[in-house]
Amino acid sequence: MKKRGLGVGSMFYGIGYGFNRPDIGAAHVEVAEDGTATLFTGVCDLGQGIQTLLAQIVGTELGMPISAIRVVDADTGSTPDSGPTSGSRATFVQGQAVRNASLDVKARLFEMAGRMMGVAPDDLEVADGQVRARLAPERHVSVVKVVDEMHKQGKRCIGWGWQDITTKDVDPLTSQGDAYQTFGWATQLAEVEVDTDTGFVQVTRLVSATDAGRAINPVGVEGQVQGGAVMGLGYALYEQHVVEQGRARTGSLAFYLVPTPLDVPEIECLIVEVPDPNGPYGAKGVSEPATIPTTPAILNAIYDAVGVRVRTTPATPERIFDLLREQDTQSATVESPSVG
Amino acid sequence: MITVDTKAAEQGLIGTSPPRLDAWEKVTGRVVYAGDMTMPGMLHAKILWSAHAHALIRSIDTSAARALPGVHAVLTHADVPGPNRYGVAVLDQRVLAQDKVRSFADAVAIVAADSEEIAREAVERIVVEYEPLPGVFTIEDALAPGAPRVNDADNLFQHTTVRKGNIAEGFAQADLIIEHTYRTHSMDHMPMEPEAGLAYVDSMGVLNILTATQYPFRDRRQIAPNVGLAMNKVRVVMTPVGGGFGRKDDITTEIHAGLLALKTGRPVRLVYTREESLFALTKRHPFTIHYKSGARSDGRLTAVEASIYGDSGPYLSLGMYVIKKAGIHATGPYYVPNVKVDTYTVTTNNLIGGAMRGFGVLQIAVAHESQMDMLARGLGISPVEFRLINCLKPGLTTATGQVVNEGTGIGATLLRIRDYMSQHGLEWSR
Repeated sequence: MKKRGLGVGSMFYGIGYGFNRPDIGAAHVEVAEDGTATLFTGVCDLGQGIQTLLAQIVGTELGMPISAIRVVDADTGSTPDSGPTSGSRATFVQGQAVRNASLDVKARLFEMAGRMMGVAPDDLEVADGQVRARLAPERHVSVVKVVDEMHKQGKRCIGWGWQDITTKDVDPLTSQGDAYQTFGWATQLAEVEVDTDTGFVQVTRLVSATDAGRAINPVGVEGQVQGGAVMGLGYALYEQHVVEQGRARTGSLAFYLVPTPLDVPEIECLIVEVPDPNGPYGAKGVSEPATIPTTPAILNAIYDAVGVRVRTTPATPERIFDLLREQDTQSATVESPSVG
Repeated sequence: MITVDTKAAEQGLIGTSPPRLDAWEKVTGRVVYAGDMTMPGMLHAKILWSAHAHALIRSIDTSAARALPGVHAVLTHADVPGPNRYGVAVLDQRVLAQDKVRSFADAVAIVAADSEEIAREAVERIVVEYEPLPGVFTIEDALAPGAPRVNDADNLFQHTTVRKGNIAEGFAQADLIIEHTYRTHSMDHMPMEPEAGLAYVDSMGVLNILTATQYPFRDRRQIAPNVGLAMNKVRVVMTPVGGGFGRKDDITTEIHAGLLALKTGRPVRLVYTREESLFALTKRHPFTIHYKSGARSDGRLTAVEASIYGDSGPYLSLGMYVIKKAGIHATGPYYVPNVKVDTYTVTTNNLIGGAMRGFGVLQIAVAHESQMDMLARGLGISPVEFRLINCLKPGLTTATGQVVNEGTGIGATLLRIRDYMSQHGLEWSR
C-alpha cells in the first residue's frame, strides 16, 4: 500500500568561515577608452553563475548593460585573491567587494566628469554610457569622453574594492561569541509516498522557501535551490558510500546511486527576501541553505506517511522495510495481553 | 517554478536574470574543460594508489615501470623537492606516501607517459612492498584505549564545547524530553566533472597549472613549496569547473601534474576516472550524534544537549572546522536558553572527510529537525507552528550568544511554507 506524508525541515547557516579564518573579497574594475568595463575577480564560477551575478553588480553601479562587461576570473597571474568559492560566501563577500570596486571606479569617473562639466561629483549619476547631472540631466558627458580625458591627463580609470567579514573565533571553552557576520535561513516542505510493501520512498513534492536577502539574480537562486534540493534528496534516500575496512564498496556509479529525473519532482522555489544589512543590496548566500533542509524534510515526511523514524541515514527501502516490520512487531506486542 | 516575494525597489540589474555569460558556450558544447585540454607534446599522468587502508611501506620498485617504452617519468616521495606535506588547514597530507599509507586514498607513485594506456600499464608494473597495520574503521574503535594511531597525534584531534545557560535547569523546566542517537553516512560530491588539471612550464620558467578548482590562490600556497618553486613562479588558473560542492577546495591534481611537468619539461595532463574520483579525495563526514532536547507544554524549547562525533578519515582537510561548525549550529535556527554541546573530530583509516555543501550543518540538521518534529507531535502542536514559536527573531541569541540581526529570515520562510500548505490544501497525515 502507498501512504502519503508531509514533512518540513528548517535550518540556519553561518555564511563564510568564522573561527578567525581570513574571509576577504577583493576585486578591481577597469573602464576602457571605449566605455566597456572589465572586472577582475578571484572567486571561481563552479557552474552556479557567480560571474554573471558580479557583472550585474558592475552594470548596476556603472549604468552599463551586461554586454558591456567582461569578467576575468580566478587566475593567480591576473586577478586579486578573493578567497575561495565555498561557505556560501561568494555573493555575500565578493559581491560587496565588487560593488566597492565599482563605486571606487565610479568616483574616479565622476571626479573627472565633474571637472569637465563644472558640476560637483556628488551631484552626478551614470546611465546608458552618459555621466549626467542628477538635477539637470540635459547636462551630460559620455563615459567614453571622460575616460579619454583621463588618459590624456595620465590617469587610469581603475577602481579597487575590498570586503572583510573575518570574525573573531568563539570562546575556546564556551563557544560564546559572534561566530559569523550573518546567517542564511531556509525551510523546505517535502511530500512523499511510501510503499509499505517494499519500503520504497518516492518524493512527490519539494517546496523550498529560501531567504536570499535580496535575490540579485532570481534564476540563479532557483538554480541553487534546484541543485541543492536534489543533492539533499540524494542524501536522504540514495547516495551513500558503503565503506568496509576503509575501502569504498560503492566504487562506481553502478553501486553509488544518484537521483535521476525519475526520482525528482518539480522543485518549487519560493524566494523570500529579508535584507541583510551587510550583504550587497541586502543579499545573502543561498548555496548551502538550499541543500540542508531537504534531507530532514524528507525524513520527517516519511514519519508522517508511515510512522517510522529513520535515524540512520540514508532512508533506503531495506531500512524502511525493517522499521515497518519492527513497528508491526511492536503493535502486536502491545496487543498481546488480550490474547493471553 | 519560481516565485519571488519582494518589496524591494528596482535597482539597475539587481533582481533581474540576464542570460549567464557562459550559457552559450556551455549549451553548445564549446566550453573546454581541463580534461579536454591538450597541448603539443602533452603527456598523460596516472596515479598508483595505496593497496591498504593502513600499512608501512617497506620498499617501492619502479624499475619495470621506467623500462616501459613511452614512459617519461615515474615519481615517488623521494622525487618531491619540497616538504612533501600539504593540507587546506593542517599540513598532514603527503604528496606521495613516504613510509606509511593511512588510507586507500593515499597516492604512492605517479607516472607520466605518452598515453593514458601506457601510464596505466606503468602504474601496474610498480612493485610496492607493504607491511599491513591494524586500522581503525569506526569512531568507537578510533577512540578506544590503545587503538592504533592513524597519525602521530591522538586519534581524537579536536574537542569543542558550546555552553550556554544551565543545562540541568533547562531540562528540569521541560515537560517533554526526547533523546535519540542519529547516524549519518559518507556521501560523494559527485561533480559531473571528475578532477582534472593540465600543467606546463612556460618559456619564463613559470609552472602554469590549469585546473578545476575552487580556490587557485590557496592551491598555489600548497603547490609552490612542494614543487620547490617560489610562489611567483607558480601560476594557477581556474578552468571551467563542472561542479565542486567543496571537494575542489582541496588540492586534487595540481601538485602531481606540476611535479611531472617540471620533471619531464613537457605539458602533463592528469584526469581522474569516475572510479578514482569516488574513492579518492574528500567526502561528506559521517557523524554519530547523541541528541537530547526538551520543551515546555506551551511549546517553548528549554534545553538542547548534544554530542557530535565526526569521522574525518586519515587527514583533517577542513574536518575540524566542519565539525566545530556543526556544534555551533546544533540547536538549529531556534532560540534555546540552555545549551550543552560537545564535538569530537576523530581520525580513522576510512575515506577522507572534507568540505561538502552543508559543511557539517546538514548532518546536525538531520538530528535537530527530527527532534523538533518529535517534540511538536509529542506536545500536540503542528510541526510548523512549533518551529514558528521557537525560531530566532531579531534580538534573540544563538547558542553562542550571538544576537541575530534584522536580517533574520527564518520566521519568514516558515510563514511562506505555512501559506503554501494552506493555499494547496495540504494536511498532515498523522
